[in-house]
Amino acid sequence: MSATTAESRVAVATQRQLIWWRFRKHKLALVSAFVVLAFYVVAVFADTIAYTEPFDTQASRSYIPPQPIHWFDAAGHFHPTVNALKGTRDPRTFKLAYVPDASEPRDLVLFGHGYEYRLFGIIPTDIHLLGVVNSRPQDALFLLGTDQLGRDVFSRLILASRTSLSIGLIGVVISLVLGVLLGGISGLYGGWIDVVIQRVIEILRSIPTIPLWMGLASAVPNSWTPQQVYFAITLIISLIGWTELARVVRGRFLALREEDFITAAELAGASQMRIIFKHMVPSFLSHIIAAVSLALPAMIISETTLSFLGLGLRPPAISWGVLLQDAQNLQTLALAPWLLVVALPVIVVILAFNFLGDGLRDAADPYG
Amino acid sequence: MPNLSRRGLLATLAASPAAMALLTEAARAADLSASGLVGELQGPTMITDPAKWPKTFQEAPMLAERVKAGKLPPVAERIPAEPMVWQPLNETGKYGGTWRRAFTGPADGENGNRIQSSDKPLHWSADGSKIVPCVAKGYALSDDGKTYTLSLRKGMKWSDGSPFTADDFIFWFEDIYGNPEIVPTPTPEMRPRGKPGRMVKVDETTVRWEFDVPYFLFEDIMAGDTAMGGGQAVRQAAKISFGAYAPGHYLKQFLPKYSSLEAVNARAKQEGFENWVQMLHFKKDWELNTEVPVLGPWRTVRPINTAIWLLERNPYYYAVDTAGNQLPYFDKVQFTLAESLEIVNLRAMAGEYDEQERHIDLGKLPVLLDNQEKGNYKVHLDLGFAGSDFMFHVNQSFTGDAEIRKWLTNADFRRALSLGIDRDQLNETFWLGVGTPGSPAPGESMPQSPGPEWRKKWSTFDPALANKMLDGIGLAKKDGDGFRVRTDNGERLRLQVIAIAAFLPYPKLSEMVADQWRKIGIQADVKEMERGLGFAKQTNNEHQLFVWNNGGTELLYLFPTWAVPVIPGAAFGPDYARWYSTGGAQGTKPEDPNILKIFDLYAEAAGLKAEGRTHNAQEIWKILVDQQYGIGTVGQSPAGLGVRLVSNRLGNIAARVCNAQHCRTPGNSHPETWYFKA
Repeated sequence: MSATTAESRVAVATQRQLIWWRFRKHKLALVSAFVVLAFYVVAVFADTIAYTEPFDTQASRSYIPPQPIHWFDAAGHFHPTVNALKGTRDPRTFKLAYVPDASEPRDLVLFGHGYEYRLFGIIPTDIHLLGVVNSRPQDALFLLGTDQLGRDVFSRLILASRTSLSIGLIGVVISLVLGVLLGGISGLYGGWIDVVIQRVIEILRSIPTIPLWMGLASAVPNSWTPQQVYFAITLIISLIGWTELARVVRGRFLALREEDFITAAELAGASQMRIIFKHMVPSFLSHIIAAVSLALPAMIISETTLSFLGLGLRPPAISWGVLLQDAQNLQTLALAPWLLVVALPVIVVILAFNFLGDGLRDAADPYG
Repeated sequence: MPNLSRRGLLATLAASPAAMALLTEAARAADLSASGLVGELQGPTMITDPAKWPKTFQEAPMLAERVKAGKLPPVAERIPAEPMVWQPLNETGKYGGTWRRAFTGPADGENGNRIQSSDKPLHWSADGSKIVPCVAKGYALSDDGKTYTLSLRKGMKWSDGSPFTADDFIFWFEDIYGNPEIVPTPTPEMRPRGKPGRMVKVDETTVRWEFDVPYFLFEDIMAGDTAMGGGQAVRQAAKISFGAYAPGHYLKQFLPKYSSLEAVNARAKQEGFENWVQMLHFKKDWELNTEVPVLGPWRTVRPINTAIWLLERNPYYYAVDTAGNQLPYFDKVQFTLAESLEIVNLRAMAGEYDEQERHIDLGKLPVLLDNQEKGNYKVHLDLGFAGSDFMFHVNQSFTGDAEIRKWLTNADFRRALSLGIDRDQLNETFWLGVGTPGSPAPGESMPQSPGPEWRKKWSTFDPALANKMLDGIGLAKKDGDGFRVRTDNGERLRLQVIAIAAFLPYPKLSEMVADQWRKIGIQADVKEMERGLGFAKQTNNEHQLFVWNNGGTELLYLFPTWAVPVIPGAAFGPDYARWYSTGGAQGTKPEDPNILKIFDLYAEAAGLKAEGRTHNAQEIWKILVDQQYGIGTVGQSPAGLGVRLVSNRLGNIAARVCNAQHCRTPGNSHPETWYFKA
């Protein structure tokens, strides 16, 4: 491809194509996009990917370390199995020791049967991504080990991802609506409305977040169900989140208000609503997308922090923060360090979102 | 003294029949022998024969200096003519050092009260089976059970050097206990059959109690952790004002009787209190007030509401060892604030505490054992005797929600909750298998045990029966998630559980039970609370289910709080407790005939001799277990105060200490006889 054809291609390319080309160049962002996508696929299919009911407690399964998978059998054929485990408590150290029993291998299969759930909340099924043939999965499969109560860490982690990721998403949506609405009004009308909204934003942003969350979170009535608490926490988190977006939107409105094409539209007799949604919003949509992708990890971290401090979600709800709080004791560090694995997806998804946001911000302004 | 056959006050300190069989409980310890952590019950030996007492006395170097400086009279003048003489467990100790411990804040006063417990009128032997002298050198009970006489030690002094005499008992009785502004609710312990008893001074060292009805139980009460026998440290802390004696020479200045109402109120205002009663509550509290004279081995020099609660030796402490050294050996006791149990345990493992049994988490036992060498300590397991180390106290006088009340007061509802608990799971997960699953009733070897079958009744895991019972009482309707719904508005029936993180991770344990209750369609919301707040809610009758243990109830009459509602504040039903303890003047009369029956048996027991008392206790336990007012889980374990870490530097340490409420663990092991070997 010669330089001239490339130039002419750029010349005729649509805005969308330009953004995509620009984004493609940012390799880290591209990879991150796939990582984020993978995380949300896991969140959507959480119940399918998990193989054990996340609340199923069993004392004889307490603190099982992560379990290796044997991929090939003695003859060298591909035949994934896990060994059955026998747990005994050492009378001297009081530790539970698990001895693998190779004589009783459990065959691993794809799409095996497990606990019952509703896929997408609608389709009743008991098919899970992983299953064991000759045993119940909760008695045989412990890919990431178990916690003190004998609950499977892998399954809990997967289901926690759904909670934590969706809190981020819903929180951002609420922030976005609030931000665009209030920022838009502020930028469009100016005057005393602008002053009031901007001062409110400043006040909200000047309060240290942790004490503010603590205050709001402790106001959540104890009698609420985990679902209600979940939404309350989402609201609380987005209550802070919208301010940043509102500022961005207001700035864009102020800048665009003076542009010629807006004046042209006004002179052509377009209504205010038409001007906002047909002319103004599309011109800073890409910018908003970038801002949102940067706001998401902040939301996720907020939920995790709150729950870790015992202020956010509480058991029996499962989220990354709740799981981390569970790991917040000496026994875990000394006897069951695998419970800390929860920190890993938090780090990965936050990094991925940040790289993605970075790439999107660059791509949003393809001429820059 | 008419009708009083003196049985030789010093000689006959009879074995309390109530606690005779404590030792046989050790049988189960055999199962744990492989661990090498459960030893024999032992402790220092009290020498009661005056002929064997030392004739000359020595004192700690820090006191010798003060004597030399003229700030303190010589040791021989400070020790009573009739001291308490201890032969330490292994050897005569050495003076000095600071015993480092952990405490969790101002609500953790019991932490210090227990090691100060030799300020009790009478105490218990190291194995917890016999009543032994303490502040009093002996007692006698008349044949008709109406007169009880306590003999004090000649020449005994308060920590400020003032004489301690019968007047201090009479001062407490007339000016503290007798003043309704200070003690609004008289203790039932002074009112057998509702008839108030009297205290009379016989001479400087003799006090007599007179009752209108036979009151044989009183001998146990005066030795127990009770309102009358608990001693000054615990019974005059916070807003409690019992303990049978008080430092009159010091407290009189705060009472209107000895000046005027205006004067004491003015002083209260000046010192930042609302009124004189508040000021008095503060002034008599040894945890907060560094000036109040005490009798125990230590006195507070930095109050409990700071980051370090510091105690220093009481220069007038009344006990010596057989070599004539005034006790205690330790100069100081230092409690360092640790806000969470994790921090206590972490520091304990690092060897930052010299002896710590309180707040040590049984769940961390494997880690504690791993670190023994690094932390230079040894772990001991002191098994308890009580039926349940984690149980649900169901509030029978709850009025906050009529529908909830209806179910809490329904026997089948409570039984179903109990049948829905898988105790073996709890035992294995949280007790590492060292506990005994069952009802709240004490272990079979205890004299008051109603029999082994009552350890199991309604206290096994039978979710099918539980579901059937819940369906049967009108809770068959369930919501979309399978939870039973209220009968008044069709919303989900939600029980609130108040859990304080204390001897065990109660909130987490409650979570596991809540998870088990899901399977019988019961939603329980576990609310974790700070200790002070949780107890305030409980006292105010605001709780539905309150999680705690039932430590102490193995001797029912001495510490009934966690079994029967006879003392104000009982989680069983604070309002009923108020009714019983005030003879019906306050509170509410229970409608449940079973509770009234318990009250009758309990009241009657006071006038019965040992055998009859034991019989009544067994009958009460049968009702308690059958009715499931308290839902037991796992007990007789070292979970509460029974995981003991002791620095290898300490000497005279018992292999096993009596882990029970009446023993004031580790109080009856007499920490004043422990010392630093190097």
